[in-house]
Amino acid sequence: MSASVYRRRETKNVVAQILASSAALLALVFLAWILWVTVSRGVHAIGVPLFTRITAYADQGGLANAMVGSLIMDLMAIALCAPVGVLAGAHLAEYARGTRLGETIRFLNDILLSAPSIVLGLFVYVIFVLPMTALTNGTTTFSALAGSIALALIGLPVIVRTTDEMLQLVPSTLREAALSLGIPQWKLTVQVLMRAAGSGILTGVLLALARLAGETAPLLFTAFGNNYMTYSPLAKMASVPAAIYQYTNDPNPAMHAIAWAGALLITLFVLALSLLARALFSRKKTSHD
Amino acid sequence: MTDLAAVAAPIAPVDTTRNKIAVRDLDFHYHDFHAVRKIRMDIPERRVTAIIGPSGCGKSTLLRVFNRIYSIYPKQRAEGDVLLDGENILDPGYSLNRLRSQVGMVFQKPVPFPMTIYENVAYGIRHHEVLSRARMDERVEQALRAAALWDEVKDKLKRSALGLSGGQQQRLCIARGIALRPQVLLLDEPTSALDPIATGRIEQLIEELKKDYTIVIVTHNMQQAARVSDFTAFMYMGELIEFGDTEKIFTKPDKQQTEDYITGRFG
Repeated sequence: MSASVYRRRETKNVVAQILASSAALLALVFLAWILWVTVSRGVHAIGVPLFTRITAYADQGGLANAMVGSLIMDLMAIALCAPVGVLAGAHLAEYARGTRLGETIRFLNDILLSAPSIVLGLFVYVIFVLPMTALTNGTTTFSALAGSIALALIGLPVIVRTTDEMLQLVPSTLREAALSLGIPQWKLTVQVLMRAAGSGILTGVLLALARLAGETAPLLFTAFGNNYMTYSPLAKMASVPAAIYQYTNDPNPAMHAIAWAGALLITLFVLALSLLARALFSRKKTSHD
Repeated sequence: MTDLAAVAAPIAPVDTTRNKIAVRDLDFHYHDFHAVRKIRMDIPERRVTAIIGPSGCGKSTLLRVFNRIYSIYPKQRAEGDVLLDGENILDPGYSLNRLRSQVGMVFQKPVPFPMTIYENVAYGIRHHEVLSRARMDERVEQALRAAALWDEVKDKLKRSALGLSGGQQQRLCIARGIALRPQVLLLDEPTSALDPIATGRIEQLIEELKKDYTIVIVTHNMQQAARVSDFTAFMYMGELIEFGDTEKIFTKPDKQQTEDYITGRFG
């Protein structure tokens, strides 16, 4: 072929490369920028009072109750959605392979995955907060439990999806090998496949936790928020994202500083979870090769 | 192609041993693809029977009927009779549990479970029998010895099986299969993922194992079929073309197609 054709192709290649690289660079710039703004604005307000004082102190205070609240609600949410999500994912990958029911559930799960979180918050408000209020004659209204349910709905589709995908990655020969020993399907799923896909599934759970830890909207109509330290699942409960939302609406700059500190804490928490998930997943890969 | 109706009569190798598996008019469909057609063959007990043929001829499909492993996939179905000691294993009333404890299978790629070496062998046994610890230890050792793996792994039974070499993993899979004390062992291209040394080991092992087990091996490697098997079946496009003494099949086959394949003229 002629040299001019090669030159033209090379030029096209260079142009494509430049476009792709600059797009990647642009995305990275914003990510670094976000991180920089969060760190530079939040780092000043990080100190002992942030971890010891509750939000009732307002601009003199910290986020102790919000951190405890977030931790409680996030863990309750994961406890609610992880077992259901892992089992549902196992159903999709192992029992509903190639069936219309499986395809339908997978499709609906994908819709849930992209559902606006405010909708999930309102949904839990209608199906849980309102009936609780009526049942208890108003003694229990908004509650940490309601908040956890809303957060669980955020985490659920993430876990279903990753469990489904991780189990599908397990080679079918492993299934055949176990079944050819007479091992029944449920034992195969729980004792062989879940073990083979274990770190992948755990990664999914961690990513779900990272995802729901940053959510604000589902909590507004469910856990509501609280300026005091509460531990009861039936009480209104503070959370870091909701506190950030509340503080940024305040005209007081000292409140903004605390909000930035909270934002930094959440970012670090999510970052740590993602790193942990990555570490777990890469360790699994090397041990299989 | 020759007239295929001519091979419809039952083909049995001339031998004094009794037959372990009798296949009668077996048809197999993958959805709407007719993969195996009207197979009739008798597989003798405690002998090695090799199934050879070009890719897609239905040899693995046939093997996968013998323990009904195909049945985990919807849209795959077998019709006809496959008699194991006179009982039809395709009868829905024939318990899968019972079938699979009698017919073990080893696959093309070694697939150890993500467990320790010990557990890989003990796992299957535990499902079928309740044994004391000491008895279980004994059974695991027996199986590993029978698979010629014991000496290499006896000091690391509690380590993950995924750390073994490919050849060791494949022998572990054989140990896992024979630990259930089956009567039949199905080998689906068991050495195609292994190097020549590991392959030699497995072939030696097959020679040993045929004293106790009826072995059916599917292989792409004709030299291997010639080396390890007593009887050879040649399949082509879903049909059993010829079945007989390995020596005869490889030296003076009755059918032109068999000769063409064996001499490398097609396939």
